[in-house]
Amino acid sequence: MAEEEEIKIEQKFPSWSDLLKPITEKEFYPGYYHYPARKEDWEYSPLPQPWHEFNPTEKDWHLPEGWKETFLSKFEELLHKQRDLFTFMDICVRCGACADKCHYYIGTGDPKNMPVARAELLRSIYRRYFTLPGKLFGKWAGARDLDEGVIKDLYYYFHQCSQCRRCSLFCPYGIDNAQIVWLGRELLTHLGIGHRFSLISIASCLKSGNHLGLAPMGMAGSLQSATEDIYSVTGLEMDVPVNKPGADILFVAPSGDYFAEPHWFTMMGYIIFFNYLEEKYGLSYTWSTYAGEGGNFGTFYSYKCAQDMNAKIYKEAKRLGVKWIIGGECGHMWRDKHQQMATMNEIPDNLEEPVSPITGTRFDYATSTKMIHTAEFQADLIKNNKLKIDKSRNDHLKVTLHDSCNPARAVGLLEEPRYVIRNCCNNFYEMPDHAIREKTYCCGAGAGMLADEIMPIRMRGGMPRAMALKYVHELYGVNYLTTLCAIDRAGFNALFPYWKLQPPVAHGGLSELLGNAMVLPGEKERDTDLRGNPLKGKE
Amino acid sequence: MIGYFYIGLFYAAIIIFVVGTLNRVYNWARSPVPYNMCTTGGQQKSLDWIPRARFDSPYTKLETLGRMIGEVFLFRTLWRNTKYYVETQRQTATKWLWIFAMAFHWPLLIILLRHLKFFTSPVPGFIVALQSLDGILTVGHPELHMISILATDLIILVGLGGLLGRRLVGNKERSLSQPGDWLVLILIIATVISGILMRYLLPVDIEGVKLFAIGIVTFSFVQPPIDFWFLTHLTLVSALLIYFPFSKLVHAVGILFSPTRNMPNDPRKKKYINPWNPPYTGKSYDEYYEYYKDQLDEIAEEDYRVKGDFDLV
Repeated sequence: MAEEEEIKIEQKFPSWSDLLKPITEKEFYPGYYHYPARKEDWEYSPLPQPWHEFNPTEKDWHLPEGWKETFLSKFEELLHKQRDLFTFMDICVRCGACADKCHYYIGTGDPKNMPVARAELLRSIYRRYFTLPGKLFGKWAGARDLDEGVIKDLYYYFHQCSQCRRCSLFCPYGIDNAQIVWLGRELLTHLGIGHRFSLISIASCLKSGNHLGLAPMGMAGSLQSATEDIYSVTGLEMDVPVNKPGADILFVAPSGDYFAEPHWFTMMGYIIFFNYLEEKYGLSYTWSTYAGEGGNFGTFYSYKCAQDMNAKIYKEAKRLGVKWIIGGECGHMWRDKHQQMATMNEIPDNLEEPVSPITGTRFDYATSTKMIHTAEFQADLIKNNKLKIDKSRNDHLKVTLHDSCNPARAVGLLEEPRYVIRNCCNNFYEMPDHAIREKTYCCGAGAGMLADEIMPIRMRGGMPRAMALKYVHELYGVNYLTTLCAIDRAGFNALFPYWKLQPPVAHGGLSELLGNAMVLPGEKERDTDLRGNPLKGKE
Repeated sequence: MIGYFYIGLFYAAIIIFVVGTLNRVYNWARSPVPYNMCTTGGQQKSLDWIPRARFDSPYTKLETLGRMIGEVFLFRTLWRNTKYYVETQRQTATKWLWIFAMAFHWPLLIILLRHLKFFTSPVPGFIVALQSLDGILTVGHPELHMISILATDLIILVGLGGLLGRRLVGNKERSLSQPGDWLVLILIIATVISGILMRYLLPVDIEGVKLFAIGIVTFSFVQPPIDFWFLTHLTLVSALLIYFPFSKLVHAVGILFSPTRNMPNDPRKKKYINPWNPPYTGKSYDEYYEYYKDQLDEIAEEDYRVKGDFDLV
């Protein structure tokens, strides 16, 4: 992206029969396709073996012998294991309501990126082999034969979906591309075909407990550095409990927060927040290195992968003997923790219904999973006046909130972060109505789309979000975008500069804003925020 | 003789419709939903003082039922529809699809109910009432022939015209429309037009039709009147019934099985059981400990607390 080049969104509208034709190797040009998985990662994962070696840009992918039978038998098996897939294959009426809801379609204009067309890639196979009209009338019934081109189609387009569920929200039947794409990717894994970026993270997480592959001392060292940074801002010497048996609460953050920037400032925010509660109210909590990852790249790939990765949280909760769990700011993590973790795993007996030891609030909506979100915990504390907050410390910021896809459309976490922001910032502005809350746009980097080799797709997919931000930036001078997702925080690092929004707009987490505003006993007078930027009036 | 052919066709169509649809439903129903996958469209139930979106993020069974009723009868999701303008990078609300969908489906329901007057004797009061409510204008000569124009007959044409028009005019919609989509629209439009012709312009032997319909219900095999438009209408309806279970028309039943809509947003409250949940095969803590023993022991030696080197800062 060194050169200045005007981006053109070329919308194409092929005929229905052209839309059925698979892509060819010619369309695998740099920036638009993912690198295939590496052997060592594949073999470490619970995905079906063996791994398949192929070059996406070549005409022949050398698919393993008997691949058609494998694909079709696994497809049939999935239909009978997942009602969502079965109904979604049957009930689409192709009304097109989902079409311009997909940020990748908006940004690329590629017709097969319309959610309905993406689903049709698989649906056409379903019709051909599992329905009567498809068997009888073939193409005229919207069916097509399974050939190598179809596999290329699936590999190419199922990795141009960030599983954000925006199509599902707008579909009159709730047809969810996140599910179809997840299961479609799972089907490809039976041929040994996968996606490098996700598999690297999955393998690291299975080895070390987190996607970044941090060893225990790496995580501890990271927490240590964060306390040093906090010391420079506040003059307070904090310490952080890690792997502590017998603590009441286990805190799990996405691993990105341990290292990346601007995640780092969210990390400082978490530490300030929990340290204050520990000192002031005697809150007993701990971080963990074994359960050091809230995120779950397995949820982009297969049920088995997801299960092997989210199981660690309950295993650690059991080993440490904690009472309940708090989860940090992460997007797909919260779909996983809200909808899947407790189904995929045994819930340990030692866990209890989450009750805030400080306010006495019973989090009665989490009696089964025993896990709540930091934003929920923080909102409850603020509501009960348990935190001392100086809102003016965020006066140098004009803040907007980017709802992350999964907390918005799989959890419904909308008001809690807004309540926290309004109580720690004086300047809060919403982006346009159709770009926030449940209708929020993806950052363009979810579900493995954070891979650097597909930067043009990421930049195009993030365009609707960037434009909504640009709108409030020009209208209100917004200079800080809050997001409760580690992938967003990483994705926006590339997106906002690309769309000429950064500088001036910074982005970061909710806990960072809270960490800025919390008044701590014995701290020195703060001249800067957690980033070291001068506060208003202290320039 | 030709009459018996139509009796056979109609029965065959009904049987294929019923058996085919039940088969579809059976297949969906026996396939399990592995985890709660509700798509939330509003604020969840969390802290007591945060008002939740009862129908967009239902927490109880009753609220979920409310959401489904809203979807099935009011198409609430389509009401939410937006349009994105690539040129200006803005999106606005759009109601056209909702309007056409409502203008088609509601009259369709009322027209189907109205048709019960042919299959019942005596005709139940609510059907008579429905028809009289439907009448908007009575035309004709009072002493010769009076006919009431029914609102639904007009509205359904608007709805169908709109649904057909957007597939013709809209670029995206035209690309997406497969032969099956056109076929269904054309079949339905032809059915509606043949019905309207019989009612208003080319009156059919209505007593003959009624005897035929009652005959179908009572299995007494009364031949239908040999009338071109009526037999066309009957053929088209039979075709739609036969096509129903094999086509996208099953959305009418399938929506009830859509897991993203028919599940409450309560997975943190109630444990959802997946019947095929596989056993855990990942690393245990003991293996992890073996791998990182020195480092984990070092953390333990510090009494499980990590703090910075503040002297150096």
